[in-house]
Formats: sequence, structure tokens, C-alpha cells
Amino acid sequence: MNKKYIIAAAFLILGAVNQSCSNDFIDVSPTEAIPEGALGEIYNNDAGANSLVTAIYAKFLDWNMSTFAWIGVTSIVSDDADKGSSASDSGSDKDILDALTFTPSTPSFKELFASNYQGINRCNQALKYLPQLDKADPQLRERLTGEAKFLRAFMYFTLVRSFGGVPLVDHVPVTGVEADKLMTLTRKSKEEIYAFIEKDLKDAAAVLPSGTGGQRATKGAAHALLAKVYLYQKKWQLAVDETNQVTGYSLTPVFQDIYKVSGENNAESIFEINGSGGTAGRAIQQYSQVQGARGTTGWGWGFATPTQGLYDAYSATDSRRDATIIHRDMTLYDGYYVGPNTENKFYNYKAYSSNYRDQASTDVNIRYLRYAEVLLIRAEAMNELGQTSAAVPFLNQVRNRANIGNTPASSQADVRSDIWKQRRLELAFEHDRWFDLVRTGQAQAAMAADGGKVFKVGKHELFPLPQDFIMESGGLSAQNPGY
Amino acid sequence: MKQSNLKYPCLIAVLYFGMNVNAQVTQDSAKVQKIDEVVMIGYGSRKKVDNTTSISSISADEVTKTKVLNASQAIQGKAAGVQVIASDAPGSTPTVMIRGLGTVLGGRTPLYVVDGMFTDNINNINSNDILTYDILKDAAALAIYGNRAANGVIIITTKSGRGKLSVSYDGLVGFRTPLKTIKMANGSEFANYNNAGKASNYLNPNQPYDTDWFKEITRTGIYNQHNLSISGSSEVAKYFLSLSNYDEQSILKGTNYNRTTVRTNNEFRITKGIRLAQTLSATFTNDTPKSYGAFTNAYKQSPLVPVYYPNGKYGQPIYNKTTGNIDYEGGRFNNVGNPVMQLAYDNQRGRNFLLQGGLKLDIDIYKDLKFTSQFSGEYGNYKYYNFVNSKSFWLDSDPMRTENQYSATSPLTRLTNKSQNYFNWLLNNYLTYTKKIENHDIEVVVGTEASVKNGLETLIINRKDVPVSKDYWNLSGVDYYGNLYSDSDTKALESIKGNRNTTISYFGRFQYKFMNRYLLSGTIRRDGSSQFAAGNKWGTFPSFGAGWVISEESFMKDGFFDLLKLRGGWGKIGNQNVPLNYLPLSMGATYNYAFGSSPVSNGVTVNKGYDPGLGWEVTEESSLGLDFGILDKRLTGTFDIYNRKTKNLILGVVPYMATGISDLNYSHMGSVVNKGAEVSLNWADKVGEDFTYSIGANYSYNKNKLASIDLSKPVSQIVGGNLGNGQDTKLFNANAVGYALGSFYLWEADGYDANGNLKFKDLNGNGVTGSADPGDRRFFDSYIPKSTLGVNISMSYKDWDFALSGYGAFGFKVYNGKKAQRNGGENVEASVANDFWTPTNTNAANPVNPANIPIASTFYLESGDYFRINNISVGYTFKNLTDYVKSIKLYVSAINPFVFQKYSGYSSELSGYNPTDPTAEGDPYKRAGVELDAYPTLRSFVFGVNLNF
Repeated sequence: MNKKYIIAAAFLILGAVNQSCSNDFIDVSPTEAIPEGALGEIYNNDAGANSLVTAIYAKFLDWNMSTFAWIGVTSIVSDDADKGSSASDSGSDKDILDALTFTPSTPSFKELFASNYQGINRCNQALKYLPQLDKADPQLRERLTGEAKFLRAFMYFTLVRSFGGVPLVDHVPVTGVEADKLMTLTRKSKEEIYAFIEKDLKDAAAVLPSGTGGQRATKGAAHALLAKVYLYQKKWQLAVDETNQVTGYSLTPVFQDIYKVSGENNAESIFEINGSGGTAGRAIQQYSQVQGARGTTGWGWGFATPTQGLYDAYSATDSRRDATIIHRDMTLYDGYYVGPNTENKFYNYKAYSSNYRDQASTDVNIRYLRYAEVLLIRAEAMNELGQTSAAVPFLNQVRNRANIGNTPASSQADVRSDIWKQRRLELAFEHDRWFDLVRTGQAQAAMAADGGKVFKVGKHELFPLPQDFIMESGGLSAQNPGY
Repeated sequence: MKQSNLKYPCLIAVLYFGMNVNAQVTQDSAKVQKIDEVVMIGYGSRKKVDNTTSISSISADEVTKTKVLNASQAIQGKAAGVQVIASDAPGSTPTVMIRGLGTVLGGRTPLYVVDGMFTDNINNINSNDILTYDILKDAAALAIYGNRAANGVIIITTKSGRGKLSVSYDGLVGFRTPLKTIKMANGSEFANYNNAGKASNYLNPNQPYDTDWFKEITRTGIYNQHNLSISGSSEVAKYFLSLSNYDEQSILKGTNYNRTTVRTNNEFRITKGIRLAQTLSATFTNDTPKSYGAFTNAYKQSPLVPVYYPNGKYGQPIYNKTTGNIDYEGGRFNNVGNPVMQLAYDNQRGRNFLLQGGLKLDIDIYKDLKFTSQFSGEYGNYKYYNFVNSKSFWLDSDPMRTENQYSATSPLTRLTNKSQNYFNWLLNNYLTYTKKIENHDIEVVVGTEASVKNGLETLIINRKDVPVSKDYWNLSGVDYYGNLYSDSDTKALESIKGNRNTTISYFGRFQYKFMNRYLLSGTIRRDGSSQFAAGNKWGTFPSFGAGWVISEESFMKDGFFDLLKLRGGWGKIGNQNVPLNYLPLSMGATYNYAFGSSPVSNGVTVNKGYDPGLGWEVTEESSLGLDFGILDKRLTGTFDIYNRKTKNLILGVVPYMATGISDLNYSHMGSVVNKGAEVSLNWADKVGEDFTYSIGANYSYNKNKLASIDLSKPVSQIVGGNLGNGQDTKLFNANAVGYALGSFYLWEADGYDANGNLKFKDLNGNGVTGSADPGDRRFFDSYIPKSTLGVNISMSYKDWDFALSGYGAFGFKVYNGKKAQRNGGENVEASVANDFWTPTNTNAANPVNPANIPIASTFYLESGDYFRINNISVGYTFKNLTDYVKSIKLYVSAINPFVFQKYSGYSSELSGYNPTDPTAEGDPYKRAGVELDAYPTLRSFVFGVNLNF
């Protein structure tokens, strides 16, 4: 071949390669995920608006939000439940929680803190992008904004009850903005957090629809939660006013039915986190399995076992006892027999799923707000305002549903004690006991009665903030006293 | 690819490589090798003596001497400055660190350039096909590869034909056993230890069963390899064909691995001045992996538990609460399953097909100008399944369970099918100009390159209730829609297309030699990568090198030094191995929710941070080296020192906790410095006519330090070395500055307290110790060795040959994760069960049986220093037996026969390799250096034969 042809061909190839390698060659659009910039074109419709808020609810299904850590810091730590499982199984830190010897580096507090902020982030993202979806129905967007605010308030309520003052993250922080960095690292006071929660709930109540059934946030849910928030701050009159706005609900006649699948989102339910089991479902991860009976005829890990103290607190006729506590040698409502050789004496019945018994994903719901609790809040607030005789009928509604008759108490102090006791018996294992003990000042005595555990007044009213948070704040936030 | 632009002396070197692939080292040819050795420098080659940079060249003979699957494992200890941490798990990839670890994110592997094609993993390459294995170490050499070179480059060329037609066959068979076993407590020791911890006699020390679980799950491994190659050349063509098969049944029962490779390399001389070379290799891999948790479970399960109960069911850790004996029902004293049962139910299989090939066109345009165009491509296809017989497993987990108790909504069986494929290609064009004018020697290379890495395309299907027999999983006419299975962490059907990664580059190099002794070289490369956002895509990577062959000077010539050469250089190289940088929407199963009884609704949110300013990670290195040869070149050596700084270190970080962002993004976080020195010496001589020997050693020292962290970035910390029980052993945050990467961050154990539990030092003096005070933790050494030593000895006497090589690593720590993972009721080592704290034995070596999970402390941190004889082999060659058979060599080889180690566990060589998480290997903040679920190091005995026709 002629050398000149070769040279020409060589340079042509070189040239061709260079021409085709323009800068577009290194511009690549992602195929693994949709970039945030495309939100406006793909999600600018009703379905898109809905999905922004669906993700917030989905956070409650995560392990770090609702399962082992949450069960530990609300049930196991209290006098309603012991660690459970076998003696040598610590559950990584459940033994420390049970004994009240926890420290800032106990892992469950980090999960509690981090998971709630992850949920708050999802709320803030929804609140940021909903206004940009101009092609979605404005009324729908308004309702969804209300739901996001309700859920944000719910999560801040969890944080402020657990830790006291925490950072107040009310919008998506922007990297590089110093004010946003301070916002995420500096603890606000308890009062500021409560004020923010109240504002969110008032905004939500204004736009949410009414209706019963707890699967989505409703006007009733916003008012019920606000009533509880006022109760914790001892703002009795405001609490009563809020409970009066919670209408349309009624108590389920048979207590046990509340916790069956047929009772999910019924007329008593104000706000529930829904789990659906099986292959097509989305469940609260391993919630049933962690608390399921352990050993022969068992189906789970056996944690958060009810205490003898709780069992004995129920009277023999109380229909709630055998709907709350599984004991050995018992036939459950679906006919399943729990044998006498399980590892522990008692187990949490409210976490039992008949359809998906031992699976990691079951159809169990967590009932966060029920009409029974609204009645008890009203009774307690009215009693504190001195309206004891007007408060007693509401207390009796709850007692009669449980088959224990009207309350024998009549003085403000006795009624108060009975209300507190009924809160314990009615709402056992619904993630309130520890916070109730702390806010009512019963904690020290109750924990001492529960096997001599030492509740240090002035320290244990608040959980320790996770050590990792204190370290990353670089001095901007201080730890809770005593830790 | 073959550099046919070699001059005559280099041709001798090439012939040398060819003839001595399966033969002994002879003195004369060794001499020739040393004078005219050629090294691959990327887009060309150079005589070693004319080279200004630091390159370690490993001969084909050395690469195949240790009979292992992956060539990078075989070179352990043979090159100074190259640290190899290998795992003996079949199909694993060794971690290779060249001059220290400069980066933390994914993309720590050196770049492998195989016949011009960029690849990350050479598991598919048959070591017998390798002709040259060159390791580019310093930045002056690496800068020609610019944006991918920050972790070093290994250039591999595969064989091509030469000389007359020759056929060679290589066969071997080997047996493998664990190099080190640990004596665990027996039945009564275990019972006494646990009873002491609970202060009650809840377990009966006299039991009928005493199971050695490690023995129950392992077997003697056996592996064999066959290799056949045919090569030759003629006036117009060179040809090479090789076929090989590697088959291993490894020590963990049921793990089998098989690799078959076919390779054809041909070169055609189309006309005078135009050559076309072609390489093509196809690799088929078939393996049945098992979860390595089996080793941890065998370590933890109690010897009291039988493998099978008397009624034939699998034994479980269930004890009768009244008698304390193992029984069918009662309480469970630990959470560990039956390891034999778990292995039996572990049913996985993977099949891999990898096709690599390339075409290279060389045109001699003028006498001094050559044009080269090279196209290479790689296609890979991977299929995998994992079958779980769920109902059967559930029934066998507790001897009292009956079939009718099995939940109606649980799946009977579960099957996961995964299929992946990808295609990458590379095209480069460059011109090479060589000119010699009197005393001036000039070589210039200028070129462009484009490379495309198409994203991995993956299809994963999860089904339930398929028949147990594998033959009936893919039936014709069946609609499997109803069998799809998903739960909280399994998705029914996933189809993923990975992001594409493209690069354009322009590069140039000039090399200048004056009077055969003064050397100067420089390179520059400009790369544009698609991984970064606009404005950050391009980077420029220059380097220069200089050398002075002092022994060629008139005052030194024919003096004491046969060779004395000083060289040095500086260069800048980059790392672009991050995922595509953009802000994605987060969606998927974990963001979905079912309202009431409605079907599941989809959720979407933003759960990631984003740094638009993310660009290249840049490493700058200055280095200096000395090569010498004395005593008639019988003693040769090199000495190198270097200083590498990786600025704008890229790390995966998560924003502050209160932002609620849980997915990590990448950002520039700081800098890492590696400083070190390498020495290698080699003595080769002969005694009389029949006996030749050589002794070589290399030693390298590297100090790795995290030099700075950018505190202005809103980032949280990285907690690593997780033990799966809530304890972490490593930390990366602002306090880690000044320590090596991957340093362990632990409490400091300090004797026992009054009850026999471990006590910890109060380093911050606040009166609180132990898990209550995280401020008492501090940094200790890292798992990365500070220095390594390699020793290579070879001798030959007449037709006998002998070789010994050893490798050691020093100055690092490992964490005994399996010992520290206790949740309660697990087994302990015999040394612990016989020497633990009791009120009468307060000076015991171990604390009392802990009631809580042991916190991460120095009690479990041990020195990892070791020295291991990697290979001893003895061979005998029969030469010129008949006209047809040129030589037959028989050899015996022992791999890893002895190890001297301080560590009490199985092995301190822990790369963190995990078959279920391929990114974990070598990641300093995962399980590297922690012995948990790690495959033990194996000792092998090999018998082999080479035949040359």
C-alpha cells in the first residue's frame, strides 16, 4: 500500500475520533435515580403531591423509628415491661434500659433521636416542594400540608417528651448557610419546642378534614394530639377545650376487638400507624416478632415482657388484662395455644398478629391516639381544674367498657389517682407509660416498686441526648443534667 | 499489547521471557535479563536502565510460582512498596495497596491495564497467560494514566507467539487445610464457664455431646488446575492459544469454584510497516458460595449441642430447665443456630461469563513516526440464584415444631434470581516519534483516549412457593406473577440500570536521553470525566522525572559499581472513582405506605445531601530512587523514598443528625499523607557450572496519616468496624487527624474490678469509666501494616530447582471480632474457659463471663504482626527426552506451610472481603482488620507437572 494513503488514513482516524469526542460525550444523565431537578416535570400532579406525604408516614414503619429502640425506651424502661428474652440475651442495650443504668452512648437513644429527625426531614421536604407543584389540586395540597404539619408536630412531641429541648429544624437546611448549620446543632428550650408544636397543630387542624378512622391525619387527630400536648404542659383549660373538638368517635364495645385486624381504623381510632403484612404489604418492621413469645410454642424474640406488677394491677374482672397480656398455658383469640414452657411468663398481646404470627412483617398497627385516651385526658384536665364531679363520667365510660364498673373515688386526689391508674391499664404498651410516670411525678416510687430500680430525680426525667450529637455540636449543645 | 518497536537487545529480553516460562533460572540468561530488561510504562515501553520512574517488574515465572487463582495474590512479597492482603476464600479478590492507602472511598483498587484495557479485577485472567506484570509506583510513572492512577497502576500483558510451534501443558493438584485452628472449650469447660457467669448451675457439665463445630463444617479442600497452550510464529503471523481450567472445592463444606478460560492472541503483519494485533479471552466461572457467617457460628455455638438429636433432627441450643441437659424443649441459652444446618440450607450458585478483547493497529508512517490505534472492550454477564427452603428451615429450627403450626401466610420456599451484565470499551490513538541524533535520544508520544463504562444492568426477581427441585423453577407456560415475593427488605422485582461513566483524555509524554547517562522525562494528561457536575469535570495531571546513570560517567565506568543510577520525580495524579454526583429523589419500598386496607401507595422524598463542587481527588507525590549493581552485577538493589499527599480526600459523609438526612453523599473532606521508603536487594551467583542461586529481599515502610479534615463542612462522623452487636471499633471524625486511616478507636482495658469484669482507664479524668463515658476512648494503631518484608530464595542444581518465598507484615493491629461479639451463652476458646477470673484466681488472663456485651476495647485488640512462608517448591526437570518432548518438569510445592504470628485468631490477614457486599473489601471503615465472618488462611500442598513439546 502507498505510504501516503496510510498517513492520510491515520490522521483521518485521529481527526474523526477527536471530532466525535465533543464535550457532550462526558455529559451523562443519571439512570439509577430521578434527579431532583425532574421533580417539577414528573411529580407535578396529584399523585406526586400525595407521594411526598406518603413518604412521611412510611418513616414510622422503619426499624429505628418504631421497633427495638422505641420499644426499649417506652416500654422496657418503664414498670410495665421487663427486658424479656433469655437471661443471657441483652438485646444489645435492653438490659441497661431496664435497669435504668443507661448513658449517652446507649444506642437506643441515638436511634430515637436520628429516626425522628429523619421523619421531620421528610415533613420539611414535603412542605418545601408542595407549593411548587402547581398542577396538583390546590385543596389536595392544602390538606397534605396539614398532614405534614401534624406528623411533624407528632415527631417533635416525641422528641421533647424524651429529651427536653432539641434543635428546631423547621425547614430543609441549605449547605453553606451558617444560620442553618447553627439551627441543626443548637438545642432550643423545651418551651420553644412546645410552642412550635402547638402552632403546627393549630395550622393542621384548620385544614384537615373531619372523619373517624386513624389511617390518615384528620381534624380530630390534630385536636386530640393538641389536647395531649396541653396536658403535658399542665395547660388544663386548653386541654379540655381541645378534647371538646374531638367529636364523632365512639368506644369499641369489646376491648380485645381493638387489637384485631377487624378493629383497625375503627370508630374509636383517631390516629394509627398501619402495618400490612405479607408479600404485598408494608409492615412496621419486626414489631410483632421482637415482642413475640419465645421458646417452645413461641414465635418471636420475647422482649418487652409485661411485669408481674402490671398483671397484678388489673383486677380479675378487667377485660383489658387478658387482651393486653399473654400468659403461659393460654389459648389466644384465634385458637392458637401458648404452652407452659415458654421462656418468659408474660408477653405483649397487643403486638400479636394472627395472620402473620412469626413473620418479620405482620399486619399489626400501632394505635397512637384513641378515643379512650381523649376521654381520660378530658377527665384528668377537668379534675385538675376542680371540676371533679363533671370529670368522673368520662372516667367511668372507660372503666365500664373494661367491665370494672364506676369509679369508687370521689375526691380530687382519689380521682386523680384512679385516672392515672386507668391510663396505665388502658394504654399499656401503647408507648406512653414512661412519659406518664415522669410528667405525673410517680416515676421514682413506681420504679422502686418495680424491682428496686433507682430513678434519680433531677436526672432521669429526661433521656440523655446521644453522645454523637453532643460531639458533633462542638459545644453548641449541652447534655442533659446528670449524664 | 506487544511493542514490536523493540530494538535488538530488547528482543533478546522478550525471547528470554518466552523460553523461561517453565524453566529454571540460569546464570547467563539472568545476566542478559538484568542488562536489557524492559518495563511497560503505559502506551509504550522502555529499557529499565533508561527509565526515570519507579516501576517493579515481576516476571512471568514469579507470577505463576505460587499456585493460586489470582495473580495479584501470587506476587505478595515480590515487589517493594506493594502490600497485598489476600483472602483464601474461593473467588475472592486480594486487596492491593501501592505505597500506602491514599483514599477512603470506593475505588481503592489499583488500575489494572490488561493489554491496554482498563479493568478493576483480574480474577478472570489465567496466571499462565501473563507475560509481564509491571507495577507503576510513583507519580512520575502514573501521571500518564491521569484520572485513574491515584491508587497505582498494574500493567499486564498477555503472551503472544514466538519462535517455532511449541505446545506446553501444565497440570497440578493440591490439597488445602486451614493454616491455623483454634482450640475451643469442650463440653464441661463450656458449662462451667457459663454457670460461673450466671452464678447458677443451669447447665449440666456432664453431657453426652461434645461437638467440634469447626470440624463439622469444614473438609480437606482440594483444587486442581490444567493449562494447555500452543504458540508459535512465522514470517507474517504470531499465534497463541491457551485453554485452562481451575477447579477448587474449598474447605468450607459446599463451597466449590470453577473457572475455565480460553485465550487467543494473534498478531498479523499485514504488510511491511503495518501490524494488527488481536487479543481475545473468554472466561466462564461457576461457583457455589456460602455465607461466611458459618465460621463465626461454628466458633460461637456451644459444644454441648449435638449436630443431630437422637431422633435425627438438627441439634439446637435448648436446655431442660430442671436437669440442665440438652433437650428437645425448654429454654434457649444462646441465639446461635446450628452451623451444619445453616450450611445445608445455604443454597446459592453464581455463573459468570467475561469476554475481553482488543484490536491494536500499529502503522510505521515514517522511519521514526509510528501511529497506534487501539480498541478494547469488555463484556460481562453474571447470573446468580439463592434458594431458601423456608418452611423446612423453620421446622428444623426447633424440634418441637409441627407442620400445622407453620403460618399459612408464610412462604414455603423463596427463590432469588439475579442477572447482571455490562459492556465497557476503550479507544485510544497515539503517535510515537523516536529519534536519535548523535548523543541525543528523544521519544515523544502524543495521543487521545475515550473510554465508556456503561452502567451495570441488573434484573432481580424474588419468588416464593417454587418447587424444591431446581429443575422445576422455570417452567414453560406458567405465569409467575402470583409467586412474586416481597417484604420489608426484599423487593419482588427490581430492574436497575447503573449510571454511565465516560471519560475523554488527551495525553503527551516526552523522554530524552543524553549521552546514554542523563535522562529527562515529562508527561501531561488532561482528563474530562462525566462523574462530576459542570465546571468540575476537567483536570490536568502533569509529571516530570529525571535520572542520572552515574555508572556511565567516565570517572565511574568500569569501577566498583556496574550500575549506579540516581532518579527522581514529581507528579500529580487523580481519582475519579465516586458515584455520579447529583441530587436524586429517594423512592422505593422503604418510602411506601399502605393506608388502612388500601394497597400500598408510593412515597418520594429527598434524603440526600449534595455537594455540587465535588471534583477530582488529587494526589501529589515526590520521590527519589537509587539503583545499583556491584560485583559483576551479582548484587543488585534499589532504594526509594517518597512522599505522597492526597489533597481534597473524598469521603462518603452524612450531614448532621438533626438534618434527618440518612443517605450519604460525597464531599471533599481533608488530606492524607503517605511517606515511606522501599529497599530491595538481590544476590545472584553460581558455584561451579551446575549450581546457581539467588537470594532477594525487599522491605518497605509506609507511614499513613490523616493530615487534615475540613471542619467547615457540615458532616457527621463515620463509625466503622461494626461487630453486628451494637459495638463499633473504628471512627473517622475531626479527632482522627494525625492518626492512620482505619485506626481502631477503643476503650483502654485496665485490669479487673472487684467482680472480675474488665475495668477501663479513665483517660479524661472525670471519674466515669467504661461504656458510661465515651470520652475515654482513644485512637490506637490501624490495621494497615506499617512495614512489610518479602524474602525470595531460589536455587538450582543441574536439573533440580528449589524456591522459597516468605512475606511478613508488621506494625499493625487486628481486632478479634468473633471473640468480642458475645450476646450470651456462646462458646469460648479453651484458653479462656480454663483461665478466667474467679475469686480465687484474680490474675487470670480473661475476665469473668461477662453479663453484658463486651464493649469495644483493647482487650480484643491484638498485634497482627506476622511472617509467613508463602511458598516452598522443589522441582526436577527431565530435558530432551525424545524428539517430541522438550522437557518434563515435576514439582512439589507447599503454599503457606508455616506462619509465625502473634495473633490468637485464625489469621491476621483480614481484607474485609465479604461475598454479599463487594464494596466492603479494603474499605478501611468496614471490617478490614476485624476478624468476623472471615475466611481462614489455608495451607496447601501441590503436586504438579509441566510438559513442553
